[in-house]
Amino acid sequence: MGALPDAGTGLRPGAGGRGHTSTATSAPTAPRPRRPVFTSRQGLTVAAFMAPAALFVAVFIYYPMTAGSQMAFRNWNLNDLTDTSWVGLQNFREIFTDPVFGTVLSNTGIWVVGSIVPQFVIGFALALWLRRRFRFRGLYQAMIFFPWAISGFLIGILFRWMFNSEFGVVNDLLEKAGLISEPIPWLADPKTAMVAVLIANIWYGVTFFAIMILAALQSIPDEIYEAAEIDGAGKVRTLFQITIPSIRGTLSLTVLLRVIWIFNFPDLIFAMTGGGPSNETHIVTTWMITVTQQGDYGRASAIGLIVVAMLLVFSVFHLTATREKSTTGGKRTTGRMPRTRRTKGTVL
Amino acid sequence: MSRRRTATALCLAAALVLSGCAVGGGGAADGTVTLHMVESLTNPTRTAVLKDLIAEFEKQNPKINVDLISPPTDQADQKIQQMLQSGSGIDTLEVRDITSGPWSTNRWLYDMSKDLKGWAGWDELTDNAVKYAKDAKGRTYYIPYGFYGLSLFYRSDLVTAAGFKNPPASWDDLLEQATAIQNPSKRQYGYAFRGGTNANSNAVAVIEAYVADKIDRDNGFKLTDGRTIFSAPEALTALKTYFALFKKASPPSSVAWGYPEMVEGFSNGSTAFLLQDPEVIATLGESKAISRQQWTTAPLLTGPGGKAVQPVATAGWGIAAGSKHKAEATKLVKFLAEGDAATTFDKKNSLVPILKSAADDAYYKTGAWASYVKMTENPDAYITVTQPRDSSWWTEWIQKSDAEIQKVLLGKMTPEQLLVGWDSYWTAKWKSQ
Repeated sequence: MGALPDAGTGLRPGAGGRGHTSTATSAPTAPRPRRPVFTSRQGLTVAAFMAPAALFVAVFIYYPMTAGSQMAFRNWNLNDLTDTSWVGLQNFREIFTDPVFGTVLSNTGIWVVGSIVPQFVIGFALALWLRRRFRFRGLYQAMIFFPWAISGFLIGILFRWMFNSEFGVVNDLLEKAGLISEPIPWLADPKTAMVAVLIANIWYGVTFFAIMILAALQSIPDEIYEAAEIDGAGKVRTLFQITIPSIRGTLSLTVLLRVIWIFNFPDLIFAMTGGGPSNETHIVTTWMITVTQQGDYGRASAIGLIVVAMLLVFSVFHLTATREKSTTGGKRTTGRMPRTRRTKGTVL
Repeated sequence: MSRRRTATALCLAAALVLSGCAVGGGGAADGTVTLHMVESLTNPTRTAVLKDLIAEFEKQNPKINVDLISPPTDQADQKIQQMLQSGSGIDTLEVRDITSGPWSTNRWLYDMSKDLKGWAGWDELTDNAVKYAKDAKGRTYYIPYGFYGLSLFYRSDLVTAAGFKNPPASWDDLLEQATAIQNPSKRQYGYAFRGGTNANSNAVAVIEAYVADKIDRDNGFKLTDGRTIFSAPEALTALKTYFALFKKASPPSSVAWGYPEMVEGFSNGSTAFLLQDPEVIATLGESKAISRQQWTTAPLLTGPGGKAVQPVATAGWGIAAGSKHKAEATKLVKFLAEGDAATTFDKKNSLVPILKSAADDAYYKTGAWASYVKMTENPDAYITVTQPRDSSWWTEWIQKSDAEIQKVLLGKMTPEQLLVGWDSYWTAKWKSQ
């Protein structure tokens, strides 16, 4: 079997059959396509066509970014703009010495990890289930993907009322099922507030993983699974030696994107708890909003820069850790996709 | 495209751009002016009332159109702030007592005092309205449209069923009655406690009631000896009574309740007492769970000395410093602050009125309004004070105090620690002025 098509899922050619057949390993290296060479006149034309877009990006993205960043080093408080002088790192010092900062950091960690792991596992399971052919599969797919179409803030408001201890449906159901004897103050108790917001976020985010993983799974040819079955591979082995390696690129990218999005997803928490009770559900971005609401744009911008720095470090770490090894004895590539994959004979 | 067509297209585009600019500036060739007006405490009923009043104003002033912008309440002040900062796009706006300080400090508000010299409307306003229309330096950044003031909403049927003849008059009475009514197994709770957004307001109201005899009426956070009210020994007793209300007589989730949850808790019949502004009268009138005969209001709760302190909150209409149509905007502000317009706005939004004529109005002497009349008629027992709500650090104070109240409710801070912190906060802020 030859190299598999990429199918736009991030799946690398040949990645679908790690060790599946020897032909996959011996595919000849294709010549690298040459970059088109422009004449200087053509180059100018291309540049002219790109200029409006570049200008648009510069004005609406880079200018606000730069302007916002410089606020982090100024005394920029909307409540009194008569003195917006340069204060150096004072805003950062205030953030790092604020007792709330430690709580916010640890909450952010819990929020990201506590959301991503269940979302990934449940989303993966749903995608595997939805890949199978069965009656009304389309209907089930539509139902499962539906939450992704709703805004995070609205989801937050819905869950806030569902988790309301006196009037919410959650306590009502638990009481009717005989699981609790008195209402649980879900959003009022620091011990349960984070659990409640995590449940809401897991429900919301499972969909994204299911969509992405299903798209990747559908690009794996059925022949591979048939061959695996003939060779006597069990379900677990097929999962770990065919399915996961085949869609590793998609999984990696999806996790990266989701971590960044969840980190930057204050909507749901803000609508459900507003960061409370007593800052127990504040993550970095909800805290930033609260500081903005206080009118302290300088400190809020500084928190924004800290968020960018943290996500940058995470992205570099994630991309480095998940970077593929090249075909030549584990030497790392420079980010380019390997054209062939070394295999160790047939696995199935 | 031929040159002629191109030239025509360019001329048309230029004309459109220029006409667009004219609209943006709010003036038209025939002399018609469009005022951009932004409200802050938006709700659908209120917006409808305001639109009716604006229609009346436009009828009386055919050369002035008013474009009302109604952002959602929770984002409104921030949106107005952004618009004010940009220097254009607003002519008339809703200014609250808590926003007038920072906005005027940033020179975003227009001082109307010169335009209002000799205005007949001044004589119609109550003393309170005149007082709040002028800042410490005599500048007028807004004219109040009404006042918010606390009273106790209570379920008369539940109070009677619990064996009490009268509604609570003091904070101690409230604790006793709310505890007696509390029955979580039946989803029946005593008091709609405010533990979330703006929790500080009710906590401060209790403290002020306990120090009523020595409070500085011009600064409700100060005692007459210059120290903060939080430093008084009575403040601790007050807070202990108040926090006992949460432990013994409130729904556990009220640690996070803000305005909507409190009103909903009372409106759906699950709580027996609610401390709120009169605007709730209109909301409760629409409740399907409790009938008009089941609830009414009582005056604000007193401290051990038999006195209550009414912290007055207000908002009104002002003009943006960047407005190019200040004369027309002033006309609109005057229209809204006098005669039928002011009366209609206050009645339909259940606000304490700004006009003296309301004293003779039968509407304010009956039902839920009777408690307000009683408070007005007994100014020595129900003392009105001004809080330092126009301080530039007021928002910071709200965030700090709300978070700390939640800490006490969750057992992470003691009332003693809270008071020490609040005392040093205000002492330091006043020193830095």
